[in-house]
Amino acid sequence: MPPSIHPVDLIIALREKHLTPAIVFLTSRRACDEAMQAFDHSHILLPPPRQQAIATVLEKVIAQYPSIAEHPLIPTVQRIGVAAHHAGHLPSWKIAVEELMRHGCLDAVFATTTLAAGVDFPARTVIITQSSIRKSRDFMDLTIGEVQQIAGRAGRRGKDLVGFAIVTPSPYIDLNVLTKGFTGHPEAINSQFVISYPMVLNLLKAHPLDQIQPILAKSFAQFQLNQRAEVLERKLDDLRDQMEPFGPRVCTDWITEWQTFDQVRRQKSHRAPVRRHEPPELAARFHFLTPGRVVGFGRSRGVVLRQYRSKGQKSPMITALRLGGGITESPASTVTEVSDRVLDCVDAPVYPWCTPESVEELLRHLEELPGRLPELPILIPKDNEPIPDAIVQTLGDFACPTCPSRSACQRDYPFASKLRQEQHRHVKSIQALRTSLWHRFQEKIDVLQQFGYLTPASRLTDDGEWARLIRIDHSLLITELLRADAFNGADPAMLAAVMSSIAHDDDRPGAFPRVSSGLGSLLGQVRKLAVSLSPHEDPPLLRADIAAVTERWIGDPTLTWIGLCKSTTMAEGDIYRLLARTLEFLSQLRTLKGTHPGLADSASRAIAALRRGVLEELP
Amino acid sequence: MTTEELELLLVQQPIALLHRLARGRIQRHFRAGKRRLIEVLLRHSVENRAGFESDLLTLIGEQQARLVPPASQAPAARKPKPSAPQRRTTHRPVEPESHEPGVTLSSWLDGLGVPPPQTFVPDAWQEDAIAKLRESDVVVSVPTGSGKTYVAVEAARRAIAENRTVIYTSPLKALSNTKYTEFSKLFGPDQVGILTGDRRDNGQAPLLIMTTEILRNLLYDAGGGEIDVRLDTLGLVILDESQYIADPERGVVWEETIIFCPSQAKLLLLSASIGNPHDIAEWLTTIRPTPCHLIRHSTRTVPLRAGYLHPNGKLTPFFRTIGIPHGHPSHLHPEAKRLFAQYEDETLPSGRRR
Ligand SMILES: Nc1ncnc2c1ncn2[C@@H]1O[C@H](COP(=O)(O)OP(=O)(O)OP(=O)(O)O)[C@@H](O)[C@H]1O
Ligand SMILES: [Mg+2]
Repeated sequence: MPPSIHPVDLIIALREKHLTPAIVFLTSRRACDEAMQAFDHSHILLPPPRQQAIATVLEKVIAQYPSIAEHPLIPTVQRIGVAAHHAGHLPSWKIAVEELMRHGCLDAVFATTTLAAGVDFPARTVIITQSSIRKSRDFMDLTIGEVQQIAGRAGRRGKDLVGFAIVTPSPYIDLNVLTKGFTGHPEAINSQFVISYPMVLNLLKAHPLDQIQPILAKSFAQFQLNQRAEVLERKLDDLRDQMEPFGPRVCTDWITEWQTFDQVRRQKSHRAPVRRHEPPELAARFHFLTPGRVVGFGRSRGVVLRQYRSKGQKSPMITALRLGGGITESPASTVTEVSDRVLDCVDAPVYPWCTPESVEELLRHLEELPGRLPELPILIPKDNEPIPDAIVQTLGDFACPTCPSRSACQRDYPFASKLRQEQHRHVKSIQALRTSLWHRFQEKIDVLQQFGYLTPASRLTDDGEWARLIRIDHSLLITELLRADAFNGADPAMLAAVMSSIAHDDDRPGAFPRVSSGLGSLLGQVRKLAVSLSPHEDPPLLRADIAAVTERWIGDPTLTWIGLCKSTTMAEGDIYRLLARTLEFLSQLRTLKGTHPGLADSASRAIAALRRGVLEELP
Repeated sequence: MTTEELELLLVQQPIALLHRLARGRIQRHFRAGKRRLIEVLLRHSVENRAGFESDLLTLIGEQQARLVPPASQAPAARKPKPSAPQRRTTHRPVEPESHEPGVTLSSWLDGLGVPPPQTFVPDAWQEDAIAKLRESDVVVSVPTGSGKTYVAVEAARRAIAENRTVIYTSPLKALSNTKYTEFSKLFGPDQVGILTGDRRDNGQAPLLIMTTEILRNLLYDAGGGEIDVRLDTLGLVILDESQYIADPERGVVWEETIIFCPSQAKLLLLSASIGNPHDIAEWLTTIRPTPCHLIRHSTRTVPLRAGYLHPNGKLTPFFRTIGIPHGHPSHLHPEAKRLFAQYEDETLPSGRRR
């Protein structure tokens, strides 16, 4: 059996059941292109009136966007009524396909899932062939929200009584992801607030330092942090109730008093505590690896079912339920992350150490957890520190041995001190939750002061005044380049080329034109600076081959779009996006007229030269 | 109740209850610790002491009702708490037994077709959203294809008629272009403009379309003293596809835009279905001058059915029911299950089978 249905068979099946028009979501652009090729010699032609209808719509779009007049897919689109739509295409082509879909001219469009959120054309049917999606160089399972967004394109209001989302398998598909996606509630979304250098500069331009914290507090990030703090505050309330019986006794702080006394007493008795050769971090963590705790093991995740010490070495061990359902026994040291999340779990005395229903429940919760969880702040006690001799010698001074409350203190100490530790931990976490954004902001301030964009009083310096207008990725590198006069004497083509190599963040290899020697050495300089800034800002890829594409396009005004595309293996949609992004970067440089007139002028000329042909068609 | 008694009662309550009490009364109550919160609540209570006390007692009553075993669920069920994600509710119709056969293909396909033409009647939620936007910000979270654009268009139309500027943002340039064409047809080309980083088409029009990044930059410029677009006449800001606030790279731009959106302008957030729209609405309520209104529902206007198509061309329903069995991922159609097992058998290299 073939690993997935043949595109021609798919279209035949859909037509037969009146399930067209359909959007077929495929894993990759390549899969979309190959699907189109499959129709090259196919005879499932559209009746002539429908072919005519397609031609009419296309004519209209071509009149507006001449760049697609010769598009190689047009014959197939017209004969069969199917099209491809993905990021490798020009925006004008995508508009044409969307327009055809809106007019109901097509039977199917092959598209990539990456576009599910960006396209504006519904259909009667959606075909789903995969359960994962490529996100920043890694395949990730589709979330419930994503499955519903994809499936939700099926069924057009006013044109369909019902919509159909049809799964057809391909290798590596996981049906569970899709069934969960169809039937589940979409996930809660979380803030992804990051503090960038331009944000700091722009905020400090408009507000004095002492007003910043209230502004940060208005973020959704802080709102969600507060929600978590609130949960902890509720726990603190509980703890306070539980601490009720352990209030002041003969001495006010009897817990500390007893602790010191007890420790000194043990030391005196020369019964050296069992010394385990484990780092204090591990010991501190082990304490929290209790049943139900969600923990990370490198890239995977699990829930602790029990903790124990191994028979021979007495090393700390845990039994954990892993994502996917496996139950493993592993040293506690393999835990890389202890999250601040404990799931309910009903203990049982034997393997798997909790009830079977519990396992099910845990597994379900585990799968539903968001990708990132708050980490548990763990204080590492320095309990190996010996008690100062001074205290030991004063053992006689302790009131405990003869205190009337002695037996009560002895009895209550373990529980009370555990509660108190927990209280301290919660108080610390709450404090961290309330102030973390502000600390992150201050870290950025420190860097900007160090580089001279901010005064020690956190006002903008002259450089800060113009640097705040650069509000794009890698802003620190760009402003530092300007301060180093790196673009002095660089022509518009070179300037644009460097901006391209800063903007481009795709490392897919390909064949590209060569750079001029001038640009080559300028890029070398940029790279050196980027590396020196790397403690403060991730360096961009700075690909010379990518820079060369832009250099050619601007450097040679007679070069046609087709000519440019032929000089590289990059898809034309990618070239378009690269140049569009470069335009965006250049337009920010253009705003520096006041302080850097030469550079702004060069940027303006680069923009004018860049915006021609295809790049002029759309705003 | 004397003030001392009231204070004592407040002190005895858990902080969660105090926050619930503060909701709608005190701005940014989330930032206050317990002691401070009680202080502010007490000060606030002076305005309407009777109302305050009765709300407090109701909340305490509700809390106690919640502690009572589930047999007497009635009072708690009266006021559903939106913040707890609904999970496996018990009031669903009894599900079919697991050995019950699934629907047939023909009944699954039945009903397919084109509805008769109808005159356009706005949905109740659409009307509601437009009406609420008069007084407050609105968050709309409804399934894909429900008709969010209609809300945006009507709200924009009204704002323009009142001589106010409207800004519409989308996350993608491609979507901005589509909307530019669509809105130009609706409002007339002279009424609509589009702004990109380096170009500005008809930038003086009352309805401006741009990506969210461009708007964020405009707001920063305004904050820094440069006046660009007529922010002083800004009446409405529409953020389409606002679930992008959770985008790892760009989400922060939505937060910045919302934080710095001028207070005289109304905010309209349009979003696909997300799990916690009430969080977004509550957040807006805490930072914006007026409480935010949330419009949400999860029923699709055009019902959706799921199917399974085998590589050999055989089509079968995906679930045992005609529609999608929400909350029951295990209700797979036996035929779909069988075909998929066969598929895995034949395609997975040996040893990889689960
Ligand atoms: N009240 C209504 N009655 C009938 N049709 C409607 C109604 N409201 C909207 N529509 C139609 O529904 C279709 C989908 O609307 P729209 O594009 O606004 O959906 P959306 O909610 O923005 O979806 P998406 O999540 O894809 O952005 C449009 O064709 C629109 O004309
Ligand atoms: Mg929409």
